[in-house]
Amino acid sequence: MNVATETGSWRRILGTLALAVLLEQLPWSGWALVLRPDFVLVAVLFWTLHQPARISFGAAFALGLLADFQDGAVFGQHAIAYVIGVYLVLFLRLRLLQFDPLRQAAQLFPIFLAVQLAVLLVGWLAVNPPTGLAMLLPVLSSTVLWYLVALFVRLWHGKGMQDRA
Amino acid sequence: MAMPGQLMFARRLGPTARLLIWLLVGVSCVVADVRHHALEGLRSGFSLLLQPAREAMRAPTDIATEIGGFFVRHRLLQKERDALLTERAQLMISVNAAQELARENTELRTLLQLQSRPGQQVVHAALLYQGHDWFAQRITLDQGGRAGLRSGLPVVDASGLVGQVSRVYPGASEVTLVSSPQQLTPVMVERTGQRGLAAGSGRNQMELRYMPAQTDIRAGDRLLTSGIDRVYPAGIPVARVSRVSRSQSSPYLRVESLPLAGLDRSRAVLVLIAEPQVTTP
Repeated sequence: MNVATETGSWRRILGTLALAVLLEQLPWSGWALVLRPDFVLVAVLFWTLHQPARISFGAAFALGLLADFQDGAVFGQHAIAYVIGVYLVLFLRLRLLQFDPLRQAAQLFPIFLAVQLAVLLVGWLAVNPPTGLAMLLPVLSSTVLWYLVALFVRLWHGKGMQDRA
Repeated sequence: MAMPGQLMFARRLGPTARLLIWLLVGVSCVVADVRHHALEGLRSGFSLLLQPAREAMRAPTDIATEIGGFFVRHRLLQKERDALLTERAQLMISVNAAQELARENTELRTLLQLQSRPGQQVVHAALLYQGHDWFAQRITLDQGGRAGLRSGLPVVDASGLVGQVSRVYPGASEVTLVSSPQQLTPVMVERTGQRGLAAGSGRNQMELRYMPAQTDIRAGDRLLTSGIDRVYPAGIPVARVSRVSRSQSSPYLRVESLPLAGLDRSRAVLVLIAEPQVTTP
């Protein structure tokens, strides 16, 4: 049974996306900023996985433009990367849905990496060479965030209990 | 299940086709933004939309600081007050000296019939938001066009030059930091008066470019703005030289320096609004 068929109402989807955007508006600085997971990307990919009919390319593109504004980057940089991420999730969707949270997060890691590399590549071609590879750190934190979210959803619906029994 | 009025077979584009369409849209966005700067309106729209959210999300940090400040020990405050009083006394002495010098300077300038320096007006601004700094280092301030800011103005904090206003929205503005790659600042070495060009090299570092190998410069020298560009007023501290090295392949020295302003710490900054200089023939 798909987790989201009973949970994925529009209210819940928009609520989590708004929460993700708000979390990014916090005045992060220093190491917290460098390590900050990409909340919006995690939210978009989560709903793409569970509700592909409602959240997919269009929403990812729009939220990608928002992310571009936030970083003061070129418009289209994150949008292109998010769209690629959505495509990868749709491609691997049936496979991803079979795994428990830890393995699912491990499978999401290369997708987050691909998204970040797309950001890097577009920024490199359009603006400047990047300064250092610190921009790959959010990949790790996004993966951890995905694990926590997936774990939370599973516990919320009581599936984790069955596994342990 | 097929409902009445609904097609039995989906007539949607496959994911690959949709991906290609969106990629095309994305690439045209990049081109429109980089080549033609056609999307500034969208940027202002996002700024207006997110301004209230950003101001609201600043509250948790402010409250935490407030509570932290409330529990500062009395003894600590007294100590700080004593230190400030001493510092004030010292500053008063230098202000007196500076006033004397300023008076003398105006007299000399009138004697030499030089144009006097343009008047300076400052706008206080606070840090609103800091984005990821992968390709350029920028911060967002909570003052914008409504406070009289415009693109190109210098931004300073208590210890030195922070950067330059690069984009202005009605209620917010974006500042490119001096340490941002490709950001150039005309500077002079305080000790020798040698002029040069400091460029940001990312991650809170700067380098002084095109210094011939025989230049007299050493670690610890302060770099000030030289004022020859008419953008920055002269004499604002910019950076301190941290390392000087020679490479065999290049005729220039490799001079690394660290910005003096608290680029990633300052929460309150000043924007200097110089009146446009009138050039008389």
